[in-house]
Amino acid sequence: MLSLWLRRLSTDRIVRSRKHETFAPLVITGRRGNVEVLTAADDAARRLGLMPGLALAQARAMHPGIDVIAEDVEADTALLDSIADWCLRYTPLVACDMPDGLLLDISGCAHLYGGERELIADLSGRLEKSGFAYSLAIAGTIGAAWAAARYGEPASYACGEERSVLVSLPFSALRLSPAMVTSLARVGLKRIGDIVDLPRAPLTARFGPDLLRQLDRALGNEHEPLTPRLPVAPYVAEQRFPEPIGREEDVLAITLRLARRLQSALEHGGDGVRRIELSLFRTDGVVRRIAAGTSRPLRDPEDIRALFVERLAALADALDPGFGFDMARLSVIVAEPCPPEQIGIGSSEDAAELCRLVDRLSARLGPRRVRRLVAQDSHIPELAETAMPAQAVNGDAGWSAFRRYRNEADLPPRPLRLLARPEPIEAVAEVPDGPPLRFRWRRALHEVIAAEGPERIEGAWWSEHGGPARDYFRVEDKSGLRFWLFRAGLYRDLAHGAGAPAWFLHGTFA
Amino acid sequence: MIDQLRQRLQALQRRPGIEGRPSTLPFGVPAIDTMLGGGLIRSALHEVAATGEAHLPAAAGFALAVVKHVAPSLRLFWIAEDMTFAESGVPHGAGLDAFGLAPEQLVMVSAAHRRDLLWAMEEALRCGATTAVIGEMRAGAIDGVAIRRLSLAAAESGTLALLLRTEPPGDGSTATTRWVVGAAPNTNVIPGREHCERTRNPETDSEFVSGFRARTFGASRNDEKIKPRLAAQLVRNRRGPTGSWILEWSDSNGQFILATHAQPLAATALHRPHRQVA
Repeated sequence: MLSLWLRRLSTDRIVRSRKHETFAPLVITGRRGNVEVLTAADDAARRLGLMPGLALAQARAMHPGIDVIAEDVEADTALLDSIADWCLRYTPLVACDMPDGLLLDISGCAHLYGGERELIADLSGRLEKSGFAYSLAIAGTIGAAWAAARYGEPASYACGEERSVLVSLPFSALRLSPAMVTSLARVGLKRIGDIVDLPRAPLTARFGPDLLRQLDRALGNEHEPLTPRLPVAPYVAEQRFPEPIGREEDVLAITLRLARRLQSALEHGGDGVRRIELSLFRTDGVVRRIAAGTSRPLRDPEDIRALFVERLAALADALDPGFGFDMARLSVIVAEPCPPEQIGIGSSEDAAELCRLVDRLSARLGPRRVRRLVAQDSHIPELAETAMPAQAVNGDAGWSAFRRYRNEADLPPRPLRLLARPEPIEAVAEVPDGPPLRFRWRRALHEVIAAEGPERIEGAWWSEHGGPARDYFRVEDKSGLRFWLFRAGLYRDLAHGAGAPAWFLHGTFA
Repeated sequence: MIDQLRQRLQALQRRPGIEGRPSTLPFGVPAIDTMLGGGLIRSALHEVAATGEAHLPAAAGFALAVVKHVAPSLRLFWIAEDMTFAESGVPHGAGLDAFGLAPEQLVMVSAAHRRDLLWAMEEALRCGATTAVIGEMRAGAIDGVAIRRLSLAAAESGTLALLLRTEPPGDGSTATTRWVVGAAPNTNVIPGREHCERTRNPETDSEFVSGFRARTFGASRNDEKIKPRLAAQLVRNRRGPTGSWILEWSDSNGQFILATHAQPLAATALHRPHRQVA
């Protein structure tokens, strides 16, 4: 377990964003209660004795020359997130340790760098280059790593010796509340070593279960789970490059190579890809993540490459490799059991071809732009069917059930196209329940010469927002245009205090 | 050598889908089918334009009627720009079903702009598994090269391509046929005559016991349901003459029948507000 502490995250953020170096001590302030206090200070300010927690007025009185900047928690969080993204190069299990730390589960990953100490060297080198003040520690447990990073030697390595590292550290290293640390200090307990060998029962009785739980977690007697920022991909393939790559063709070639590597693993697990993500790690620390979905479990490397061809073509801003990518990772985010390939049945080949087309279109245009109609369980026309992303729909999408219903109910004609929502029209109609004689829709006047109906469609009377009953008419105007329009509400309800019925146009017939 | 090159040149210049007895989609209306030489060519691009924005549903109906003949197991892609589905409405599954098209076979694609639309159309055409592709675009000219590309893609894969447009385009076209379609009024209708389907309850011997009446206002002369009519004009045909017909959609056999043998003798009077009456 590696704990990384970015000691001066907020001030480092300001300094990094500046073009010119300034030498004035930098402090970050924020409002706590009614007082403007320092929330962070850089090393120069700390040397002057300006510590976080000090009131701004007092700090200004002490040193008028300081550089004061208001805090921006969101920017800090975003920066931490991007560093966490960047740390994905070491391990897929990265958790944010708010407000200014990261936890990396590097078990099983360190050998890729030639060992844990080499990994630390690589990480520290890159952090130094980007201008972050940091300290980090590797230990067997989250608690011990956290404590060692913040209170131990910088870049310390404490695997297997958690106990000896911890005993000399103060209680705040156990991530206890300040109140607890104070009450421990009040009885003369200052260091963790003071309680390690004390009987447990009296400690729990006096200080509550938290103290010993934190101690047990740090010592590894109790398991502490890590909550990674991103879900862990079931299948991952990655490639590091000695020389950064930048051209789109190279990226696609790498994607193909990684997909080939994934293929055997996927076949072994009997799975196929439903959603896949390509992460490209730029040399300057920016990570580009590009995801693509599929409409059926997929294994073929060529198909996976084809998805990314479209995704890269559709990127609003070009790939922007900067100085190049030095690592690429292909991770399967969602995998689904994939039946073994059937060969030789013509229609299934066609279906596969169609799925490929849908995937390609969805990758380029976005899944919400490629849709299929799904029959829903409702009698209200606009709710009776919805358009869903085609990748998410399979089978007959409820239409065979609809056909059974239609045959039983002898459904009156339905329009070929339905407007997104019924559009109000001005209509002159026979009272109480006649069809309109003429109406105005989108500023054009239509003279009705023929009408069929009404077809009564009740509103959802069981719901408060169900709306009134509708009487649908199919009308034809003088020039032969055919419309589907309805009157919402009944004239007879006018007596019961309902509003006057209104007319709407809902669809068009061929 | 020269002969060989000439032959190669000829092979390259061959217009797609014209030579070699292409498979056709007959309308079922002999007058049109003979003019088209058996019907619409299946592996080609056809343009269907509405006479005006308001007549788009009729043009769409015409296109879908053509699509209906393509294959028993249809795979239809309907590709349009974002605004089109919002303005003219989304294809309605229940309506398609009543029209005889299986709604589960329809994939709707909306594109943000014209370039994406043409790209999506070409992709869908090049994929061998689709049987028909409808591309719907609003007013505005299309590049001749784009039309040519779509024609070639359709010819290669044997897919029917239909370009649906909101108004008759002024530009020339390399499409195999171009149709201008509008709705036509049904002359059989007696305007305004009310025709009630009376329901008589034998027990109470009263009419309209069900609370409201189902009726048709403006009935057809022979008391049938009103059939939709289209005025279809073939304005461009690469294989022969052009013509214009009034077609009637017959629900019972699911195809067009010729409603009149010719256009109405006298055209309807034009609306001329700028002409002052003396």
